[in-house]
Amino acid sequence: MDISPILDGFGIVLEPSNLIYCLIGVIVGMLIGVLPGLGPGATIAILLPITYGIGPVSAIIMLAGIFYGAQYGGTITSVLLRLPGEASSVVTVFDGFALARKGKAGTALGIAAIGSFIGGTVSILGLTLLAPIVAGFALDFGPPEYAALGVLGVLLISSIGNGNKLKAIIAAAVGLLIATVGRDTFTGAERFTFGSLNLAEGIDFIPIAMGLFGLSEILYNLEERHNQVHAPAKVGNVWPSRKDLGQAKGAIGRGSLIGFLLGVLPGGGATLSSLAAYAFEKRRAKQPERFGKGAVEGVAAPETANNAAATSSFIPLLTLGIPANATMALIFGALLIQGIQPGPQLVTEHPDVFWGVINSMYIGNILLLIMSIPMVGVFVKILRVRPAILAPITVLITLLGAYTVRNQVYDIFLVIGFGLLGYLMKKLGFEPGPLVLAFVLGPMIENSSRQSLLIFGGDPTGFFTRPISGTVLALVLVVALWPLISKAVRRKPAPVPAGPPADPPVEPPVEEKTP
Amino acid sequence: MPTSRTTPRRVLMGVVGAAAALALTACGGVKTTSSGGGEGKYPTGNIEFSVGASAGGSTDLITRALAQGMSKELGVSTPVLNKPGANGALNAKELQSAKADGYKIAVQNASLFTITPLTVSPEEATKIDSFDVITGISRDDYVMATNSQSGFTSIGDMKKSGKTIRYGTTGVGTGAQLASALTFKSAGIDATAVPFDGGAPALTALLGNQVDVSTMQIGEAIENIKAGKLVPLAVFSDKRIDYLPDVKTAKEQGFDVLVTQYRFLTAPKGTPEDVKARLLDAAKKTFATDEYKKFNEQNSLTPMEVSPQEVLTALQQDTAKYKKQLDEFGISLAG
Amino acid sequence: MPITDPLEEEVAEETRPPHAGPVPQVVAALVALAVGVAGAIGSFGLGLGELTHPGPGLWPFAISIVIAVLSLTLVVTGRGLQDAERFSKATLLTAAGLVTLILLAALLPLIGFEIPSLLLVCVWLRWLGKESWRSSIVISIVTVAAFYLLFVLLLQVPLPRLI
Repeated sequence: MDISPILDGFGIVLEPSNLIYCLIGVIVGMLIGVLPGLGPGATIAILLPITYGIGPVSAIIMLAGIFYGAQYGGTITSVLLRLPGEASSVVTVFDGFALARKGKAGTALGIAAIGSFIGGTVSILGLTLLAPIVAGFALDFGPPEYAALGVLGVLLISSIGNGNKLKAIIAAAVGLLIATVGRDTFTGAERFTFGSLNLAEGIDFIPIAMGLFGLSEILYNLEERHNQVHAPAKVGNVWPSRKDLGQAKGAIGRGSLIGFLLGVLPGGGATLSSLAAYAFEKRRAKQPERFGKGAVEGVAAPETANNAAATSSFIPLLTLGIPANATMALIFGALLIQGIQPGPQLVTEHPDVFWGVINSMYIGNILLLIMSIPMVGVFVKILRVRPAILAPITVLITLLGAYTVRNQVYDIFLVIGFGLLGYLMKKLGFEPGPLVLAFVLGPMIENSSRQSLLIFGGDPTGFFTRPISGTVLALVLVVALWPLISKAVRRKPAPVPAGPPADPPVEPPVEEKTP
Repeated sequence: MPTSRTTPRRVLMGVVGAAAALALTACGGVKTTSSGGGEGKYPTGNIEFSVGASAGGSTDLITRALAQGMSKELGVSTPVLNKPGANGALNAKELQSAKADGYKIAVQNASLFTITPLTVSPEEATKIDSFDVITGISRDDYVMATNSQSGFTSIGDMKKSGKTIRYGTTGVGTGAQLASALTFKSAGIDATAVPFDGGAPALTALLGNQVDVSTMQIGEAIENIKAGKLVPLAVFSDKRIDYLPDVKTAKEQGFDVLVTQYRFLTAPKGTPEDVKARLLDAAKKTFATDEYKKFNEQNSLTPMEVSPQEVLTALQQDTAKYKKQLDEFGISLAG
Repeated sequence: MPITDPLEEEVAEETRPPHAGPVPQVVAALVALAVGVAGAIGSFGLGLGELTHPGPGLWPFAISIVIAVLSLTLVVTGRGLQDAERFSKATLLTAAGLVTLILLAALLPLIGFEIPSLLLVCVWLRWLGKESWRSSIVISIVTVAAFYLLFVLLLQVPLPRLI
């Protein structure tokens, strides 16, 4: 492999003007990510005209900076306010917000920053060395494979919660049902739209997530606060301790790998990767019950994975000309404006752009890490504000943020509706996580399996005979039957009381010390 | 706090009521981004361009390119607002009930008026009579392509192979679906449609050999065609497309399939003539700039900067033709 | 290894008020059951098609049936669960908060976002949060001004507004 274009790419990125564009992008992205609703897509759209004036490399460096800056910004609101800005940070909410309530928001944000940095960097290394190979891998994933992955995802959802399993599965099924609202992709039939044009394109993720997580929490606390004087969460530390880091180490490593691989898949890769990384950590943990109550790995795994996935989602764009998500579609548009067609010929026709973008990510990730260190301290101070004051401000951010998604008051009503639903669910012992995640994965399962059946000419055995979908479905079986399998394995060495089964002790047991 | 429970609510109601009344009488309306309507010659304030699709799609990019140029010509700012929903019908409905003063306008797709009505109930269909067309903008043509490994080079090759063709489309009720369905029916090829949610997944499935052919907008496929990964089989325009000069039209190959997507600038019905003339003038000047021409080329768009009358005629003819052909072949676009 | 972090236990204990008993549990399960049944009827009407050539209703129908069956199980087995919380007088505060949100959404397109937002923040601070009058007024004005600066001036979001 000829590495001179790669080195030239570094030369381009390290030009002071490009460093500044990278910095601007990362800062803008971070701020945007903090505001729910106004995602990186909308911001890039607003900034597109500005990119006319600056060179293609600088423009893309800045836009890419916005993209991964926003990823980290979304983490901040997930942890502090229980407001996930994107589907891929829903999983972070579980342990991130729990840590914040325990006064360890700094730990959560710090771990997320470090995890994001490592995940991102591992993924860029992969992008640099393996882009063409993994791009081919992405193409091997057709509708049957996505359908199988979706099923695996929903199965993992049922294992992530701590509450009643039956209730979790019901919530997940309701999420799947909500996802069917709108015009059917295959027949154009209106499903559960009740004649409303607003519902014809289905319900957006943002109002659901903001309502069920953010707003429901505020409504719930309104009542709580009345019951007892609720002191603001103590802010214990602003940076993860050595012990936290040790605990998160393995999760970060595995999260990087899972994120890189799944992120290459256009459509849903990032969400699946955060879910898979979390479920994997929970399953291999000595005390799975710590998850959801503030386990450091529960933040490290999904945050590392979603950042790694965000980075590797550039692979389909840069090597195949396929935008993996809405934000990528805009970056595609920005490249077009500059006279550059992303696609298989990009690396040979415009090596400066190709390598400039990739190398800017190394720099962008370093900038993001450097910036987040002082920022964590600042953001954590938000929690020192009395809940009575923080609540209305968060409500306003949520409602006005919902408006900005489609510039429709209708979406504000949706957030309120889902806020009420989330509040009632919380009161009645249902967790919102399974509902939201199943909502995201539902269309993937339905559309992909219907596409598959059309491709197979109606023969469902095709799902099992194709190598990748067959393997994934076998994995589904293993995961589904795992409780039975592990029980059987555990029963055999009966004389040994409570011997640790199947799971080999890779990590030394973690010591929890009383502070 | 039982005693205070009624008081705050009463206070709140009073305050809200008073504030609302005050605000409504004092200002007589609410601003969003269109801030015109004052004294003086049009335009005196911002002109809002709404888009019935998400940021990043072709309609969005075209609107932004046009809005930027027209902003320079008119000397006011032209914010672009995305209002996605129901293939653009949601935005169309809002636009048709907006004030016809030229401060809210939109680029709209032909398919919303020619193809969508074939898939939804009559009362749901958007009608062009509700709008004033200001000018045509550009054509965005479709290309049917196959993976280079399939060995096909024309529509005839698919027929010769004798196998059932599985074709990807960009969704139900799109021109891509209509063009492919008509082609396969009129050629007598046994084929199954596999609808995807937009061009990117249809392209992915084709590159991965999950489907035999896909019909997409040219801009989506052109790079992979140039790279030799995809082989174009046909375009569906009247004449060959400048961007793909070697690709035969379906008509040349003996199939009467003419399907194009085109876009035009619209305002609510009843917009004053002088306002429309001013907008048309600004649009024309924008079309003439090098920057805009370059934009068209990069996105593989063919200029269709025609008069409103020509747009209306094209819409009518297309609607009638599509309906007739679908009936003739007994095709239902819905599934 | 027992959890020894005192903060952790404190949080876990503190946030769960007395559980609600069997009635809300059963009602919740019945509501879910109703959703399942309604979904099944609605999607049956859409047309199920066949397993090999599914119609628009097949997938939602299958999900609805799953919801209905599981909810029925929950009606029977969930009576003794202790994970639901009692609704109390304090629930009225939540209801009041909810009303202010709806008012904001309803007024936003009519009179812009400034006055409804100001009122919402003020009401939440003064009555729901029991802040003093002075800090309620100051904080709500500062908040709305900051939002104006951020959304309207900096980000140019087309929020309906007066100024």
